[in-house]
Amino acid sequence: MSAPLLRCAVASMRHGLLLPEHAESDAAPELEELAATLPEVFGTADPGCLERVAARLGAEQGGGNFSQVLFLSDSRVHVIQALERRAGEALVAVSPSGRSVGLVLSQVQARAAELEEER
Amino acid sequence: MTAAGVPSSRYLSSIPASPAISSAVQRVLGYIDDLPAGATGALNFGLHGMILLQSRKICWAVARTMRLRLSDLLRNQSTPPVSREAVEEVYRRCKSSGTPIGEALVASGLATEAGLRAALFKHNGDAIVALARAGAAPDDWVTHTKPGYDPKYSFSACEVLAMVGALDDPARAAAAQVELASMLVADSVGAAFTRGTDASGALVIAVDRGCDFAVADLVGTCNWVAGLFDVAQTFDQEVFAARVHFGTQAGLVTWRSTDVGYVGMCGSRAAAARLVSRLSERGVRASGVMPRGSHERESPA
Repeated sequence: MSAPLLRCAVASMRHGLLLPEHAESDAAPELEELAATLPEVFGTADPGCLERVAARLGAEQGGGNFSQVLFLSDSRVHVIQALERRAGEALVAVSPSGRSVGLVLSQVQARAAELEEER
Repeated sequence: MTAAGVPSSRYLSSIPASPAISSAVQRVLGYIDDLPAGATGALNFGLHGMILLQSRKICWAVARTMRLRLSDLLRNQSTPPVSREAVEEVYRRCKSSGTPIGEALVASGLATEAGLRAALFKHNGDAIVALARAGAAPDDWVTHTKPGYDPKYSFSACEVLAMVGALDDPARAAAAQVELASMLVADSVGAAFTRGTDASGALVIAVDRGCDFAVADLVGTCNWVAGLFDVAQTFDQEVFAARVHFGTQAGLVTWRSTDVGYVGMCGSRAAAARLVSRLSERGVRASGVMPRGSHERESPA
């Protein structure tokens, strides 16, 4: 299976803007639109609520902060991956759907690891 | 009962559907959630009534203003109804032996286990609604030292919340219950919700039996995942499902079908991946229309 086409960029969670030093020169509009949702996605979650839910599920304690959001649609897979070692920044990625979601996620995680190594 | 949380048509409630009542019930259930884990005893609401709990699950509730008794609910489960004399005979025996009446009715063949659970669910739900409508607040908690109720006849606060939310549209709630049962995977629990036109937030209409969170956390989670779909519309109007990883292991999966939102709360990332796979295979979309293309199975990430 060939690797799915993946476009990605780094964005500010607080401002919802792509960070120019990590954006491709022709950053796709869908990446900008995905990045624009970050303040809403990350700013409206209640970590305490999520932590209590995780505790009742018997999941290992790890806080209520979330690390990855995946959106599935008929035409695209969208991924938001919080960058652990780059506070306030997230990798946003878009790939055509119809391919393996697992492969898309592997590519996103590999790219996120590279970015964190750069730091 | 057709499924946990949904009364059968035989138990159509006289309680009017109303966001205000749902909010008031949430307040009463919040008192239960505030008790320590494993709380067993009686939560007294002064002259208004009381709620008996075992391991923080609702076993029995009574309110002064209630009209229907459990024995009436049980009698009316069959056609023709079981005679009042037969029920009263069992009641007399229970009074002298100290056996719970419901379980004695099952033992005598006058009620089935499912029928008893349905009747208890209706009775306890009605009592809690009555306490909520009266604006009652607990004034005493009495700890009981030994458990006396069969756990299969006890209910989580989330189940009662969903029962009240279901009153708005029982058929929709029953369909949501079926959807949850067909989609949830091992190591996941779920809830279905709708959002009204007012600003009252998510109205929980169905939960599976394992759903046992604080009601405020359940409603908060439903509100948040509903917001995820709202923001997703800004970049892709075809988004039909979303998955969130949080903590080190847990995950949420949310999807919509017609006008009902669903959330599966998963105790492991593998469970979240399986739920996403199941949704992808079925091709759930916000519109409820099958998608044009198919989605490949996701490997657990």
